[in-house]
Amino acid sequence: MSWRVGVDTGGTFTDVCLFEESTGLFEITKVSSTPDDPGEAVLRGVRDIIERVAPGTEGGVERIGYFVHGTTVATNALLQGNGARTGLITTDGFRDLLELGRGRRPKLYDLAARKGDPLVPRHLRMEIAERVRHDGTVALVASEEDVRRRIRQLRDAGVDAVAVCLLYSYLDQRHERLVKRVLAEELPDAFISVSHEVLPEFREYERMSTVVTNSFIGPVMRRYLGRLRTRLRELGLHCTPQVTQSNGGMMSFPSAEALPVRTVLSGPSTGVVGAAQVAAGSGIDHVITFDMGGTSTDVSLVNGGKPSPAPGMEMDGRPIQVPMLDIHTVGAGGGSIAWIDEGGHLKVGPRSAGSDPGPACYGLGSYEPTVTDANVVLGVLNQTHLLGGRMPIDADRSFAAVDRLAARLGMTRTAVAQGIVSVVSANMARAIRVISVQRGYDPRDYTLVAFGGAGPSHSARLAVELGVAGTLLPQRPGALSALGMLMTDVRSDYSRTVVTPAAPDRLSTFDRVFAELAAQASAWFEAEGIAEEHRNVEKSIDMRYRGQNYELPVPVGNGTFDEIALKQARDAFDELHAQRYGYASVDETVDAVTFRLTASGVTPRPAFERQEPEGADPSAARTGTRDLFLPEREAYLPAPVYERALLRAGNELTGPALVEQFDTTTLVLPGEHARVDPHGNIVTTIGRHRD
Amino acid sequence: MTDLDPVQVEVIGSALESVAEEMGEMLVKASYSPNIKERRDCTTCVFDADGRTLAQAEHIPLHLGSLMGIVEAITERHPREEIRDGDTFVGNDPHTGGGTHLPDIVLATPVFSGGELVAWVTNLAHHADFVDRAHAHIFQEGLRIPAVRFARDWEIDRDILDLILLNCQVPRERMADFRAQLAANRLGVQRVQQLCERYGPDTITAAGEALMDYTERMIRSGIAEIPDGVYHFTDRFDSDEHEGELELGVSVSVRGTDMSLEFAAPPQLPCSLNMVHTALLVTVFYAVKTVVGPRVPANDGMFRPLKVAAPEGSLLNCTPPAAVNNRILACQRVVDLVHGALAQAVPERVIAASNGAVTACTFSGIDPRTGEFYVYLETIGGGLGAGATHDGLDGVQVHMTNTSNLPVECLEAEYPLTVERYELIDDSGGAGRFRGGMGIRRMLRVEHDDCHCEVSTSRLLSRPWGLSGGQPGARTEVHVLDAGGRVTGRSSSSTTLRAGEVMDVHTAGAGGCGPSAERRAEAVAADLRDGRISAATAAEHHGVPASEAAPAGEGIPAGREVPA
Repeated sequence: MSWRVGVDTGGTFTDVCLFEESTGLFEITKVSSTPDDPGEAVLRGVRDIIERVAPGTEGGVERIGYFVHGTTVATNALLQGNGARTGLITTDGFRDLLELGRGRRPKLYDLAARKGDPLVPRHLRMEIAERVRHDGTVALVASEEDVRRRIRQLRDAGVDAVAVCLLYSYLDQRHERLVKRVLAEELPDAFISVSHEVLPEFREYERMSTVVTNSFIGPVMRRYLGRLRTRLRELGLHCTPQVTQSNGGMMSFPSAEALPVRTVLSGPSTGVVGAAQVAAGSGIDHVITFDMGGTSTDVSLVNGGKPSPAPGMEMDGRPIQVPMLDIHTVGAGGGSIAWIDEGGHLKVGPRSAGSDPGPACYGLGSYEPTVTDANVVLGVLNQTHLLGGRMPIDADRSFAAVDRLAARLGMTRTAVAQGIVSVVSANMARAIRVISVQRGYDPRDYTLVAFGGAGPSHSARLAVELGVAGTLLPQRPGALSALGMLMTDVRSDYSRTVVTPAAPDRLSTFDRVFAELAAQASAWFEAEGIAEEHRNVEKSIDMRYRGQNYELPVPVGNGTFDEIALKQARDAFDELHAQRYGYASVDETVDAVTFRLTASGVTPRPAFERQEPEGADPSAARTGTRDLFLPEREAYLPAPVYERALLRAGNELTGPALVEQFDTTTLVLPGEHARVDPHGNIVTTIGRHRD
Repeated sequence: MTDLDPVQVEVIGSALESVAEEMGEMLVKASYSPNIKERRDCTTCVFDADGRTLAQAEHIPLHLGSLMGIVEAITERHPREEIRDGDTFVGNDPHTGGGTHLPDIVLATPVFSGGELVAWVTNLAHHADFVDRAHAHIFQEGLRIPAVRFARDWEIDRDILDLILLNCQVPRERMADFRAQLAANRLGVQRVQQLCERYGPDTITAAGEALMDYTERMIRSGIAEIPDGVYHFTDRFDSDEHEGELELGVSVSVRGTDMSLEFAAPPQLPCSLNMVHTALLVTVFYAVKTVVGPRVPANDGMFRPLKVAAPEGSLLNCTPPAAVNNRILACQRVVDLVHGALAQAVPERVIAASNGAVTACTFSGIDPRTGEFYVYLETIGGGLGAGATHDGLDGVQVHMTNTSNLPVECLEAEYPLTVERYELIDDSGGAGRFRGGMGIRRMLRVEHDDCHCEVSTSRLLSRPWGLSGGQPGARTEVHVLDAGGRVTGRSSSSTTLRAGEVMDVHTAGAGGCGPSAERRAEAVAADLRDGRISAATAAEHHGVPASEAAPAGEGIPAGREVPA
């Protein structure tokens, strides 16, 4: 009778979900977030949901066998720049690298464009005399006296955190270890991170930026998680609480306290994991996720049920190189404002009306047309209320807002409204091309999984634009992140750069490096208390043709790395290179560059309720008819409206049709066929004929 | 002609930009040489059937000029009916169309749809080759390639390739980069064809016209906001390639939505500083765009409101056989000139003079580790000028370029060189209400004898000017140090170094904006604490008493000792 509980902190609401393993019961609730002390909403949410599933039970928290938390504490500290007072220790001559970066300015033509302030001010960046060379030899040995003197200067300056990044620390850790030891002596309470532990990979700026970010957010995260851990224990929780990380997996509170940088992009990742799982449950494993919210939209690619990984990304121009999911964000959502620029073109976003004042139709003081207003004009959205009746709207205000643009463009109201939707679709399609076509994948082989408040209203048009075969609209499009949290594995990633030719006489190097990584993983499995049968290890090697400076990750097997494995890895690299870049150089020497190992503790997937399919006729769910504008017919046509909660497995719909539910409206286009599957998801296929 | 509404134009415009971006990503990732892969010294474009730019992937502003004219050059040599699907053309010659200096090699591929030539996809990659040359005239600078057929049916013409590669010093890299360039164009062709299938080629053509009109309107509406008048500005220009300083000037006339720029320049020189007309045109466009509309898409419509003239046969509008390899130094000064002139009309929209150069260092020789010839090119940024509301950025690539540096941990593994220091130069940004950006010090030690090193830079003699009463930034300095760190010489543009010797480059800072006495006290204190300015500067320009300015007085560590 064990429960799984997930708690996801958002800006406005904290989502809590609970899954009962024995019965398949799934419950979800929201409580208001408490930004000053996010832990308070977490605790309240946990008490709330237990009260809902087992009213009046004392000690219900003890039944929680699995607890996972998605937090934005680290992300917010970074975005708002209110992390710790942080110092940096680096090699003599390189303290300014933190702001010089790769030397480019942020915008080509904008003379006033700013770069994000460095997270460590210049006077807190200390240089020590030491130098390791590219072949691992030590050209200048660090002196403990010099190191101590610098650290004392940082101590006197009152830092709460220190980052250490020395050149070539991935080749020789001794100097960083020395600095770490002296730091522990001189600054026992400070948060310390050293680059060979956080990111033992080459490219010094990316490594420095990552380790500095880790230290900057470290004390904040350590304080938050430490306190929450205590409060959860007091509440009666006895399982090890987990935190979601950017790679779509989770890690224990103590691991997250040491490596908070790995949580920075966890928010959108759990949504992708949830979407991948829901689709897999419906037998679909090649998926493009399309999460369209109020102000922004996240898209990503899932191949064979596995979300695509990315080695890192930039935030405010600062690289963060940690394993994450390849998620592309567009600054446009349902609340984005449409406007006309100086050249007379219709633009949508990035400015958003948010939820207050919201779209014009809310009547809360905004007169500018948003994407939502366009959908009201077109009849895609209900013209009297939204959010299941909770939000009464005034369609006339949408009309007036769109009319103002129409007058300036010399177009009709409906043409402008449809135009707003087209511009949004084009922007979304462009983002999806980045994560599919640009990576060598054809979107036509994928199913679009749409969620977020605005996703299902736009997915059909986007599907046509991309030429995808069909779409999947999950039963609870607002709960995918919460769901994702309950289906996530405990995960830890290990890597090390050792540039080695992929040649049989170098096999001992491959063995040695993988053995090192495996030893780190074993220690982690032990520390996390993961049972043997749940342990899973995946290995890969970043490879490149000699002389190239860009690598591709090549998965390799878990067996002994022998000549056959080497040959397979080499062939796989050539194939991957041809897929991505259109050619392979099979005669060139290939170098192995960075070795990677992912350790995960597999979480058994919950089995969800299934409905036995009933008849195809959906008329029992029909609630009315609405005039829907269809550009392909250049007219408003009456479209049946259905209530999602009343649709049953097996029901079938043919477009045009609209399906309403509390947090979203699904548009089914003419030529599109929709069917409700046994899990309550709507699965559609797009007709071949085009407009 | 198909009539399109603004929504269709916006949607197709976005699709065309997406094609150029995709080609750019493909080129960067599929190439071999660090100059393209890591430093992104390349650009991709979609042209219409007549060779007019429709969309460009934003990498390097100057490259737009290198791509202009390539299609004209191709169609002059090759009758339209002989141009077929699967053909690709190559070219690099500034004087006959298709480049602004010889290392920028352009590949152009026609796009056919329904049997008609509907567009061109083009890309340019800066091949780090043709080094250790002389620059009295262009014949000394490398191989000149007219617009010739490079591939048929997507197969590279082996004869042409062999001819080019025999003239290159690192043929293996060139070969791989050409392959990446061809792959990028092939991708572009597929994408444009898909757009034609979807919307029809006529709609794409009409959208292209509308996009150019759109850019023209945007630029015109920006020019209209500048008060009418004639604005003059002059500046001095120097380089190690030429003795003494040269005077360059511009007079900018603004009338309604038109702008005309007339440049004054000395006759072209027997060195590599000369600019061809397309380079001047695109440089002016860059400078104007930063003032009137940073977000305006870069396409052919941008030139319509602009009239650009410079005396024929001059440094800024050279004729054959002028050498042009380092034309970017003159380009950077042209940007400062245009901003300097427009400062009289719209001072709040321009910035003070930036570091005034693209400081390029080229090292070449035999790598003792492999016995093979190598070429390593790097460009070092410097200060960006301060504006009316903000400090200039410290240590960045400015104006006509925006290449990335190569990580130290890649560079040293790849080449027999060691980076000893890479840092900002204290006190190099011009003082002002807003401070000019700081210059960069970069010290590279060579690890073998007979290393040929060329450093091309400017602002060695003059300092980047300040705006609205701001102080000038520090000037450029280049030294050669012996193994013991003693200065043994000031670099001239070309030097041979021995193992252990160090090329010590200090790039210029940038000018400040506004009277320095008006700088906010907190900003002065922060600069002082961070060592960005000295106590002497704080006292002289910001009125901070020396007793308060001494870092020791605050008990805050300076980070490190100031190197001797």
